[in-house]
Amino acid sequence: MRLKSVLSLFFSLIMVIGLLAACNNEVKPPTTNEPTPSEEGNDSEQNSSGTTPRNETLYVNGLQWGPPSTFSPLGGNPSFPIAYANSRSLIYENLFMINMLDGALEPLLGTSYEWTDDTTLHIELNPDAKWNDGEAFTSEDVVYSYELGNKYSISWSNFWEAIDAVEADGDNAVNIRLKQDNPNRLTVLDSLQLVPMMPKHVWEEIEEKSGNDIAKIREEVNPDPVGTGPYKMHTFDNQKITLIRDDNYWGQSLFGGLPAPKYVSHVIYKDNAAGSLAFKKGEVDVSQQFIPQVWKMWEDGAPIKTYVKDKPYYLPGSMPSIFFNMTKDGLNNPDVRRAIAMAIDYDKISELAMSGYSGEMKPSITLDTPSETKYVDQDAIKSLQWTTDIDAANELLDSIGAKKGADGIRVLNGVRLGPWEIECPYGWSDWNAALEIVAQNAKAIGIEIRTNFPEAPVWTNDLQTGKFDIIMNTPAGAVSPSQPWDRARTIMYSEGVAPVGEMAFWNWGRYKNERADELIKEIPTITDEAKLKEMYTELTKIYLEDIPSIPLMYRPWVFHTVNESVWKGFAVEGDGNNIPPQISIDGAGVKDLYQITNK
Amino acid sequence: MNAYRKFFLKKSLWYLVTLFVAVALNFLLPRLIEGNPVSVIANQMTQGMTDSDSIKKVYDTFAAEFGIDKPLWQQFFIYVGNLLKGDLGTSFGLYPMSVTSILASAVPWTLALQLPAILVGWIVGNALGAIAAYKKGVFDKVLFPTFLFINSIPFFILAIIMLYIFGLTLNWFPTSGGYNYQMTPNLSFEFIGSVISHHFLPFISIVLVTIGGQAIGMREMSIYELNTDYVLYSKLLGIKDSTISRYVFKNAMLPQITGLALSIGTMIGGSLITEIVFSYPGIGTWLFTAIRQLDYPLISGATLLIAISVLLANFTIEIIYGLVDPRIKASQMEEE
Repeated sequence: MRLKSVLSLFFSLIMVIGLLAACNNEVKPPTTNEPTPSEEGNDSEQNSSGTTPRNETLYVNGLQWGPPSTFSPLGGNPSFPIAYANSRSLIYENLFMINMLDGALEPLLGTSYEWTDDTTLHIELNPDAKWNDGEAFTSEDVVYSYELGNKYSISWSNFWEAIDAVEADGDNAVNIRLKQDNPNRLTVLDSLQLVPMMPKHVWEEIEEKSGNDIAKIREEVNPDPVGTGPYKMHTFDNQKITLIRDDNYWGQSLFGGLPAPKYVSHVIYKDNAAGSLAFKKGEVDVSQQFIPQVWKMWEDGAPIKTYVKDKPYYLPGSMPSIFFNMTKDGLNNPDVRRAIAMAIDYDKISELAMSGYSGEMKPSITLDTPSETKYVDQDAIKSLQWTTDIDAANELLDSIGAKKGADGIRVLNGVRLGPWEIECPYGWSDWNAALEIVAQNAKAIGIEIRTNFPEAPVWTNDLQTGKFDIIMNTPAGAVSPSQPWDRARTIMYSEGVAPVGEMAFWNWGRYKNERADELIKEIPTITDEAKLKEMYTELTKIYLEDIPSIPLMYRPWVFHTVNESVWKGFAVEGDGNNIPPQISIDGAGVKDLYQITNK
Repeated sequence: MNAYRKFFLKKSLWYLVTLFVAVALNFLLPRLIEGNPVSVIANQMTQGMTDSDSIKKVYDTFAAEFGIDKPLWQQFFIYVGNLLKGDLGTSFGLYPMSVTSILASAVPWTLALQLPAILVGWIVGNALGAIAAYKKGVFDKVLFPTFLFINSIPFFILAIIMLYIFGLTLNWFPTSGGYNYQMTPNLSFEFIGSVISHHFLPFISIVLVTIGGQAIGMREMSIYELNTDYVLYSKLLGIKDSTISRYVFKNAMLPQITGLALSIGTMIGGSLITEIVFSYPGIGTWLFTAIRQLDYPLISGATLLIAISVLLANFTIEIIYGLVDPRIKASQMEEE
């Protein structure tokens, strides 16, 4: 008997060991620190304690939730500090830095840009710029970085829909030529602050090694990226990514010195709650997390600040909206959509879902920020903008003949208004809360809406293939020179939108309006500001009449909250420095690093 | 021995068939979930893109890279072919990490949680069960209902209750993770202390339930044995009580040992939900993440690991029992 138990134990152990061994002969994931030649042998000592001096380290959080997987801008989902859409400029820099306050493109690797003719953009480069391996940064690198998007399917491939060629003009200038049939200036301006500048001399070799196969190139996890930025990779594992300042940074002439923190570190917290707690304790300096009731933190005496001193505390950067499926009976009626828009309690959504960080809702294709509202004649659209008004919504439905049935739900021309499903991913708690409120509000006007919260990949699939009644998503969420055109295009443009059942990547409700299409097509080629305002105003009117989507709330581009227990002097509204709240590391927000000091 | 060879071959064949079915299901089931598996990566890549064709291209590139643009039967053969090479593919969600490397990092955590819990639960449970059967009276009247109660709580519910009381309310133990993530893993007292304090709650929640189950089983078996004829006969012969109880427990232990061997075999997949509750960095948590992200290769890899370990454990036990258990031996003879 004893034999039996001993044997079975023994076999199970053998089996487990075998499995482990089978797993172990694989290539190790990039979870351990790969010592790099540039680190002068203090690597081991750094790792054993795993810490850097607190007063020399800037801790950020809320940008990375899982273990780091790759630091390649070409990878599918690169880890901190690589972020394409946010122009994070710690390691890889862009030609220009976006400033969300005024929408301006500020010089970085590029010093200036100008349209030399209708389809040529001339960009001057900073002759001081060099890579962190000492090589000079030249026009060759710019051409190479752009061309990567032409050669492979990557994040910046879409610019080549409008770009005909990128040519070097000497060592320190490039010309971008637009296609004659699609001279879209707006997307090209976007590219100036989006395309990460990558060193030709490094990536050419990687391309060659991989036989120019993008799947192979993506396997390069790039553990020690060569960039032009002020920081280099220091250490990373599954819990923390740490960058170290490059004291030979070329940009000292541009910024008048080096950034104050010697290290920038991102701890990977398990969830929002853990991250917020650490932030409150002062273990994190800059937090990009949604912190409910942030004011409680400073009321409790923590030295915590938001960029905007008073409510709503954050600047709007995008507007999560609900989209209607135009192919569904009942929902294809603009009056029904307007009634729903008037039934929604936007203040309640702001309070419950956004902790009050969403300012007063002014429906439009533009955000309620000076850099966007200037494009639209606000007086001309006022009469079309809806506000929460249940009585008026009910009156509107009565007037079009939608009568309530015995169950309290209205019927319009034989079509019962509901049950419609309203959808967003499970676990996005602010969105979940917002949709619950919408469903509740709809009941008050005799329309039945039910919430449906599937997992994110399912929601993505439903969104793209048009398998929904009403669905929530953020149209064009980034701040960029092409706003509000990009947002209008995402909501309304019908060209290139596949029919229901196939994948569409914008205008998920399959809305179609020919005049809107014309305007959206034309706007990127217009330079005359008065004409532009006229067109945007007309487009906004169409939007407010047809209501293909309803914005539910304003959301910051990034949540920018700082704790000043270690570092002080972060940008705040009205300090006259024009440094945007872009978490001190994105776009023009990086200027924050040069003005903060130890407490 | 000839009979045994036949028995062995037959069993092996059955297990191979089962394994094949398991592989097929591992492959097929995740792919039956609705949704777009490349959306996780492709969405990241296409942020800020303004052109349908380019976005579509990105999707297609990834679909081709992961092979999900091919018909299902082709995908299956590629999958099996790679399996034979020991390649479980690339994770979608943690692209470009390989599934094997993710699983390799998770398995030690799962084992470190399960193995001690199973052993401790088994030893303590059996001892308590035997004592209850033997002592009867008040001891049994108190202990038995308690075991029953604990054993009928699903262990993940127990986990949630403990998480709430000791983690959230009393703050005695951390509520999630394998160790304090502000630390870098190293061999310091501080770090090991952190690992132990994170280990405690999930460990206890498994142990308690195991004790309950084991004790009930052992008590039943012991009572059954105590009422057999040979016990009565020995008593009449005047054999010492301690000697009799040794006989009894020897016999009562038999099925318990089988149970132990089985639970060690199912160890890898035994605590999935407990891990999820405590976000313990083992197989369970990874599998959960993988399912939420439609990460086919990682789902298949984790479930395959679990299936293989269960099959192997069962197979091993059967083969050994075939050698040593007279009843199975007898049935082999009959088939001759």
